[in-house]
Amino acid sequence: MKRAMKGLLVAALACTCVTALAASGDPEAGMKKSTPCQACHGPKGISVSPEFPNLAGQNEDYIVASLHHYKDGHRKNPIMVGQAANLSERDIRDLAAYFSEQSGLYVKN
Amino acid sequence: MPALRFLVAVALCATALAAAAEENTKVTLQNKLAQCQGCHGIDGWKTAYPEVYHVPKLGGQKAAYIVNALKEYKSGERDFGTMHAMAEYLSDDDMKQLADYFAGQGGKSAENSPPAAGGGK
Repeated sequence: MKRAMKGLLVAALACTCVTALAASGDPEAGMKKSTPCQACHGPKGISVSPEFPNLAGQNEDYIVASLHHYKDGHRKNPIMVGQAANLSERDIRDLAAYFSEQSGLYVKN
Repeated sequence: MPALRFLVAVALCATALAAAAEENTKVTLQNKLAQCQGCHGIDGWKTAYPEVYHVPKLGGQKAAYIVNALKEYKSGERDFGTMHAMAEYLSDDDMKQLADYFAGQGGKSAENSPPAAGGGK
């Protein structure tokens, strides 16, 4: 019985780890994929024009949601719709991890 | 002479009215800012509907981007019910003032935060 319990526990832990890995992006991979983004949003996530948002330090899941919205047409900015069209789910998560790790934006109150 | 007295009285009234109007603007902007802060001023705050994710951080964001986003929410071009309800009653001037507030330095949490626009590691 004890053995079975241990086995179950290990299996449960393994599942949790796999789920966690699948959910979060890899910032290193994101950096490599971010070259096209940098043209407007800057190499450090501080954008080159007042019209483009800074991404440095933005919430990871907000970036993911935004890219999904561009990809599915919910958000209609023509530049971003074009950029997001070819991103895979993995790309989106990696890019979000990369930009959210930079320092810049903050919760102002 | 009574004419002079009348002019002084008119000038005083005008000053009082201008002061009251300024005070009124201040209160209104504070109220509008309070609406933003109900979500964007709370660290870790998340949307509830139709999807769940953290609301974007606005401290240090580009002012022109914030103004454009608010205009798009107001017109419905950017489709999100909560932000449409917020932006619907904002004038162009309100949007600019709110955007300048978020884009600028300062705020209670600023000293614990990384440098805003222009910074980054």
